[in-house]
Amino acid sequence: MNAVVATGVFVAFMVLTVVLGLLAVRGRGGGGGGLTEWSVGGRSLGAVLIWVLMAGESYTSFSYLGAAGWGYNHGAPVLYVVAYMSCGYAVGYLVGPLLWEYARRHDLVGLTDILAHRYGRPWLGAAVAVLATVFLLPYIQLQITGMGVVVSTISYGAISLNWAYFAAFAVTTGFVVVSGLRGSAWVSVLKDVLVIGTLAFLAVYVPLHYFDGYGPFLDRLVAEKRAWLTLPGGSGGTSGSGAGGGGLGGAWYVTTSLLNALTVVIFPTTVAGYLGARDADALRRNAIWLPAYNVLLFVPMFLGMAALLVVPGLTGVGSNLALFELVVDSLPAWAVGVVGVAAALSSIVPMAVFMLVIGTMWGRSVFPLLSRRRAGEARPAREVRQKGAAQVVVVVAGAVALILTYAAPTTLVRLSLISYEGMAQLLPLVLLGLVWKRFTLAAGLSGLVVGVAVVCALVFTGRDPVWGVNAGIVALGANLGVALVVMYGTCGVYGTRARRAWRRVPAQRRTRTALEGDDTAR
Amino acid sequence: MFRPRPHLLWLLVPFVLFLGAVPWVNRVDPVVLGLPFFFVWTLGATVVTPFAVWFAWRGDRRLKRNGEG
Repeated sequence: MNAVVATGVFVAFMVLTVVLGLLAVRGRGGGGGGLTEWSVGGRSLGAVLIWVLMAGESYTSFSYLGAAGWGYNHGAPVLYVVAYMSCGYAVGYLVGPLLWEYARRHDLVGLTDILAHRYGRPWLGAAVAVLATVFLLPYIQLQITGMGVVVSTISYGAISLNWAYFAAFAVTTGFVVVSGLRGSAWVSVLKDVLVIGTLAFLAVYVPLHYFDGYGPFLDRLVAEKRAWLTLPGGSGGTSGSGAGGGGLGGAWYVTTSLLNALTVVIFPTTVAGYLGARDADALRRNAIWLPAYNVLLFVPMFLGMAALLVVPGLTGVGSNLALFELVVDSLPAWAVGVVGVAAALSSIVPMAVFMLVIGTMWGRSVFPLLSRRRAGEARPAREVRQKGAAQVVVVVAGAVALILTYAAPTTLVRLSLISYEGMAQLLPLVLLGLVWKRFTLAAGLSGLVVGVAVVCALVFTGRDPVWGVNAGIVALGANLGVALVVMYGTCGVYGTRARRAWRRVPAQRRTRTALEGDDTAR
Repeated sequence: MFRPRPHLLWLLVPFVLFLGAVPWVNRVDPVVLGLPFFFVWTLGATVVTPFAVWFAWRGDRRLKRNGEG
């Protein structure tokens, strides 16, 4: 009976999700239009929709599963998520408008598009698109598996893992192919209502149900799990001794937060959100209010630590379900269903944007290189053709992630270890490229190659964190160092060769720094 | 072409609060309202961050007005 009720609630909301996603493009040509409408919502999303979308992207299934799981296993180190997001929004205050302006001025729809244009090399866009796809696929798989375990748990096992994985893929593809970024933004609205509602409820209910209120809960936490409450955190739910936390000390905390705060602003999915904004000031105002959303993240963290006291002894994947162990244990079936839907949507929205971004990158930066340019093709026709290709890629990318989830689940897990730190290596190429007019492709590219190589070398030999420091930031240091050496070595920063190279670039191609924030003054 | 924007220093506030202060705030005591100090501090920083970014935005807005006027 429980299974039927919870599954019914879940299925009803999934249908609602797809319908909402599809309705989002009504009155906008019913999903017609070109790549710009589909990939970045025609650059017309207002401050509120952008807020909802960007909050939706950053608040992934990790927030329900990983945050609780980290809280359960380690405790305080999980706060790095809050730290990097807040700092990241402060960086985004500067970088968001910068990218938006550049893309708007040159009619670009994504990060790879921006790079290809800035350096005047279409193949660079294609190469970065392939690299970014490799880094993004693991995230799609993480969302699929995240949603899978949630759905399987809240249906009391009625929906098997394999079917739950498929549901994640089907629902997401169901709307994103048709309605693109705008559909994702509207589904985000539904998601935010459910997430805020369920987390606020759980924050009150769980301590009351298990501990007779907050006071006793926190007192027990402080008395029994002291090691979990500071860095480097506790050592897993099993031993309970709390000695050492696997190198998650202060240095790791600071470097990881710093690296992620910088990386999150050029993450291709964040960039998609930036480019969807109606104007640059919407992004700046967003950067003010987005950090407030992070307060919500404290709830799953504390619930994870509550689970530590209630259901000790979870290990591995089980610890990720720390929060749901409490939910299934203490709530009636329909409420379990609603919480499950909120968590499922937390997987679906980011997954939709990940797939959308992969589709956009290939439709815009890879396929045009492969097919011969059609002379005299009108812009609308080209945009529609690129969008068609992008939609096919969305389905293919989702299907690849799904098949890998079934067939080789460990491959993508290993890749996911380098995803964020690998993506971070694009930082000099993107940001230095945009603010430093003479920064050359040779410098940016050699930095990127060295950076990615260092990340792979350190992570795959099990040296992350290395010397107590995030491996990605070590790689970024090497990346930046190499880029600067090449920059000085090949032309000298103030050298004549650089200036001559700069003059060869046609005037309309030149990057004008948008740092001045004069977008609306024009 | 770069106008000075000193108000952007406000954007460093979250970095100082969340990251710079870690060596001093990474502790359980004093417990505030039952919450361990490191969590209280991070929660406080989360609440303060929107204001810091808001100050930066206000500076930009003022600069823009003066530029137009």
